[in-house]
Amino acid sequence: MTSLEDKVEESRKLGLQIVKESEEDRLMTLSVGPQHPGSGHFRFIIKLDGDYIVYCDPDPGYVHRGEEKMCEYRNVIQNIPHLERPVIHDSNNVTYSYSLAIEELVGIEVPRRGQFIRAIASELNRQVYTLYWLAIYGIFLGHSTMFMWPTGDRELFIDLLEALTGARVTHAFNIPGGVRNDMPDGFKDRCIRQVRYFEKRLKEYEDIFYNNPLFRQRTEQVGVLSKEDAAKLGVTGSVVRASGIPYDIRKAEPYDIYNEIDFKVQYMKSGDSYARSYVPFLDMKESCHIIEDLLDKMPESGEVRAKLQPNPKGPPGEAYRRVESGRGALGYYVVSDGTPKPYRVKISVGSFRNILALPYLLVGQKLADMPAIYWSLNYWPVEADR
Amino acid sequence: MSSEKKQEKPAKAANSSSKPSTTAKPPVPARPTAPVAAKPPAPAAAPPVKKEPEPPAFEKGLADQIRKKFGESTRILFIRPLRIKVQVDPKDIVEVATFLRDSMGFDHAESVAGTDYPKDNQIEVIYHLGSYTRDDLAAHVIALATRTTRDDAHLPTLINVYKSVEYHERETFEMLGVYFDGHPRNDRFLLPEDWADIPPLRKDFRIKGR
Amino acid sequence: MASYPQNFRFGEFVGSLLWLIFWVLIIVTLVGLPLVFIVLYYVPLPPINGEVLTPFLFLTMAVDPSRTIPIIEHFMTTDLFRVAAFPGFTYAALIAAVTIFVERKFLAKMQLRIGPLYAGKIEGIFQLIADGLKLIAKEIIVPSGADKPIFWAAPIAFVAVAAAVVALIPAAPGYVAADVDVGLLAVFAILGFFPLIALLFSWASNSKYPFIGGLRALHQMIAFEIPFILSALSVVLLSGTLNLTGIVNSQIQSYWFIFFAPISAFVFYISSLAELERIPFDLPEAESEIVAGWLTETSGMIYGLIQLGSYIKTYALAALFVILFLGGWAGPDVFPQEIETPIINIAPLYDPVAANATLWFTLKTFGVIMLMLLPRGISPRIRIDILLHTGWYKLIVLTFINIFIALALIYGGILGPGGLLVR
Repeated sequence: MTSLEDKVEESRKLGLQIVKESEEDRLMTLSVGPQHPGSGHFRFIIKLDGDYIVYCDPDPGYVHRGEEKMCEYRNVIQNIPHLERPVIHDSNNVTYSYSLAIEELVGIEVPRRGQFIRAIASELNRQVYTLYWLAIYGIFLGHSTMFMWPTGDRELFIDLLEALTGARVTHAFNIPGGVRNDMPDGFKDRCIRQVRYFEKRLKEYEDIFYNNPLFRQRTEQVGVLSKEDAAKLGVTGSVVRASGIPYDIRKAEPYDIYNEIDFKVQYMKSGDSYARSYVPFLDMKESCHIIEDLLDKMPESGEVRAKLQPNPKGPPGEAYRRVESGRGALGYYVVSDGTPKPYRVKISVGSFRNILALPYLLVGQKLADMPAIYWSLNYWPVEADR
Repeated sequence: MSSEKKQEKPAKAANSSSKPSTTAKPPVPARPTAPVAAKPPAPAAAPPVKKEPEPPAFEKGLADQIRKKFGESTRILFIRPLRIKVQVDPKDIVEVATFLRDSMGFDHAESVAGTDYPKDNQIEVIYHLGSYTRDDLAAHVIALATRTTRDDAHLPTLINVYKSVEYHERETFEMLGVYFDGHPRNDRFLLPEDWADIPPLRKDFRIKGR
Repeated sequence: MASYPQNFRFGEFVGSLLWLIFWVLIIVTLVGLPLVFIVLYYVPLPPINGEVLTPFLFLTMAVDPSRTIPIIEHFMTTDLFRVAAFPGFTYAALIAAVTIFVERKFLAKMQLRIGPLYAGKIEGIFQLIADGLKLIAKEIIVPSGADKPIFWAAPIAFVAVAAAVVALIPAAPGYVAADVDVGLLAVFAILGFFPLIALLFSWASNSKYPFIGGLRALHQMIAFEIPFILSALSVVLLSGTLNLTGIVNSQIQSYWFIFFAPISAFVFYISSLAELERIPFDLPEAESEIVAGWLTETSGMIYGLIQLGSYIKTYALAALFVILFLGGWAGPDVFPQEIETPIINIAPLYDPVAANATLWFTLKTFGVIMLMLLPRGISPRIRIDILLHTGWYKLIVLTFINIFIALALIYGGILGPGGLLVR
């Protein structure tokens, strides 16, 4: 068994250096993406020896929009609507850590009810994202029912978020200092009803997808990422939790009111594609409990946002804050020079960190395992490109 | 009528924000808690922040370890709850990173961010390091910063210490033009293949129309 | 906006019409009529009621519906009817069309969707027509560097080969286009063309993903061809004939073979799924791995033809399953012996045996087709190595178990000539 580094070094040589003609003839270079049904806005160049992948080179950047540069031209509030664009399915979590960082820089305290509403919105949004991810994982493995069911059930949470924020996907709900508006009347009952229904549906998902013998055959022992390698590569979110490291920012560094919420960090030990696809499912289950718990403990009334000055600005300084998004830790490094516009914003996204593992996992696998491994990495191309 | 309302509102907001929150922010119960908002406004990053009152004990212990090992060659820029920023010279960075990884358990890099400071004619590259293996360090992030000149921007790579910086350093190379000595691919990554302008995250690159 | 030329003259318009009629008449007289006479000279005309059916007689009879009946009656005994209409292409294409519609609705219900809804007033029944029109209207793009003759010929060959399988399938006693003694062997021989067509087409496309898809199709079909044939072997042992009509008759004399050869039936079902490239065996067309497999470069009606061919193939294999294991057209009589129709007496056309057989055959075939559609809703795609392992190691062994059971039944005197269960 060669070590991880050796394997990748070998593949690098194969890909980058000139190899002998006879060897080159054996290899077939495939450009998977960006016009490929199994890639998204993303390309990776793979070389095949027979049915085995011997080289993989990810090439993102097809949807790079320069969000970080755009941040430097707008003030902290104006930044919110465009910062959620990278992951519109998870927009509350994307703006969450940005708001936390700005709050730290400007020195604002979020009212307690506002913190609860933030957390509820972010949990609901995480469900929306994970369902979308799961739907695509289903269709990547040729399971069309698993594509249709989650995309249908996603509407449950989208409707809830629409009632809460007024928009279906791009909410722009989290702002520095709290949330934009309070909950509508009757939201709590509706939310609990829909979440309970969704918990019933999750059992059906398990029956048709996760317990399907063909699905297990395709994903178990495929693309195994050991605990040590996961830590070394710095992957995050469900990928690192599937490798046996119970690391969740909500538990490790609780933000807002997460330290009052009682929940378990879901993780598995096998580190294969099955674990990486099952951990988000367990997270969805846990998220349902978290939402119910949050609704339970939420104060009945109160302010939802702290009042801000126009063009809020803090003293010069820097802040690095993280939240747990659908794809793992999502950190914002914000440098302020004392003006209303941030001097530098760096978004450290889970997708960008997870895709590092792709060449390590793909090399040596069969072509048919490519979608099973690639999408299990919980990668969202638009987010990685920013 | 309206003027009264306007007067009331800020008062109310100030009241609610100044209310002591019941939420204990940092999770690890062993440490004394300090809400983020209560943190005094940090002065400019340039002068070392020594005026900050009583940094938390655990973080101070971490910082002392680094200080004891490397002495004056590293500067601890600030110590805040859960966050430490260390600035080192480019020539020491590999050594410091190796120490952080092997002796202190910071086993992966979360992000590598480059910041352009045209006033100082410098580019700061900052590595945010976290830990998966040590539970007590789970919430902590050490920011390992180093600076290079803008005109001839190159730094030693940390890829041999942290595998996880590979793509981040590539991104920093193309976005800020910092060449990482020893990195296998200082190469285009996110930008278009025909990009023929200066690195876009430098301050002298202006977005058109702004 | 309708517009007409400024210098419009009604007289010129009428003149142009007359000019057109003149030329049509000229061409019909000088080219059309001689051609008709040449054809009539060589084609033997059928006798109807003791008279030779000349064109004149045909036209006079066609005017009166009651006198048309003998012509239709005669037409139904010809080979042309067998090939083109009833057990042949039209019937198969009709079933294929219904299959496509039913599949979409059935799958939609399974996945909590609605399915086709707008084309046609009722539940989108004209969706298929809309899709067909769309495919016909689309441009056919031939990739640069493609081997053009093969690229054009392969889709047509695909449909032709699928139709050739259908020609061997008897749908009712006597209703079969080609009633050959080695019918079953002929079916498998023709099915062997499909991987060849897939490989040729993928090679002719001059593209990488089709090439991988074609190789996958080749691997898959060869791996499943052997269990496919072996699973039919136990049926051959039980019935003692390779003629498909004979196989059905021997089931009518005893019982359906699915009771004696359930393992073979299972293997046949799995293998036919693999042969049809349906989920979970749609590896040659796995879209998340190799775009659309060997169909990647198809466009417009080329794609339409291949889809038509594959649905006709679905019908053929489902019908084969019915013939081999479910007793073909055997079933209780539901049609009356005699019928009376008010205005036109169609009694000469009415054959209660054939009607009964057609009913049961169609019903059973549809049941099997539904069974073949079912896995698409509940199963992900299988991986190629698991597929090959299944084909070569598991299914072949399973078929042998059932072959031994069949041999035991025959030598134990339970089935076969003079067996206990033979009526």
